[in-house]
Amino acid sequence: MKAVIRVLWFGVAQEIAGTAEEEFMAEDTATLRLLIFEKHPRMRNVKFRLALNGTILKKDGQLEKNDVVAVLPPFAGG
Amino acid sequence: MTDNFLVAGPITSVLISELMTLGNHDSGAGAVSIFEGRVRDDEVDGKKVKALEYSAYNEMAEKEAAEIIRVVKSAFSDVRTVLFVHSTGIVKAGEVSLFIIVTAGHRDHAIRACRQTLELIKKKLPVWKKELF
Repeated sequence: MKAVIRVLWFGVAQEIAGTAEEEFMAEDTATLRLLIFEKHPRMRNVKFRLALNGTILKKDGQLEKNDVVAVLPPFAGG
Repeated sequence: MTDNFLVAGPITSVLISELMTLGNHDSGAGAVSIFEGRVRDDEVDGKKVKALEYSAYNEMAEKEAAEIIRVVKSAFSDVRTVLFVHSTGIVKAGEVSLFIIVTAGHRDHAIRACRQTLELIKKKLPVWKKELF
């Protein structure tokens, strides 16, 4: 079932999205990726990982209501 | 002493002095290794970098930072304390944006653990930077 997902944008992804946070309706992370590309086509050129509720996802999976998905471009600390 | 790994703005000499006292009470800590990361005034497309603006996924960064420290401590048996702070927000060229301190019984683990902490920060800490000209 589709759920409202909070998406947090970071780094260059935040510049592309033009906001720090956005809501999407998606039932799984694979669908969410497609919706992200549809809404922000420039994200197709960005290498990124997704974190679900603060943990980096190793593979796509189901999403549930109130899940928080963070879009993480390559880290650049230090 | 701070409990947070992220600090707003540059890491000041006051904070560094405070962190340097770490392990002062521990007379078994014969070696202290530190690393300071400073913002470089690189030239990009003919323009000099005046500052870097750091951003972080705070909740995840705090969690990852604690995990980095746990991993380093378990990898080096002689290490007694590991601590670091990383800036968020604007840090000007020449200012400090990362400070790591490791204490150990002896120099070998102090130096190697400091290096490993740095590498793990680069790899695992959800922090991003934007050049300001």
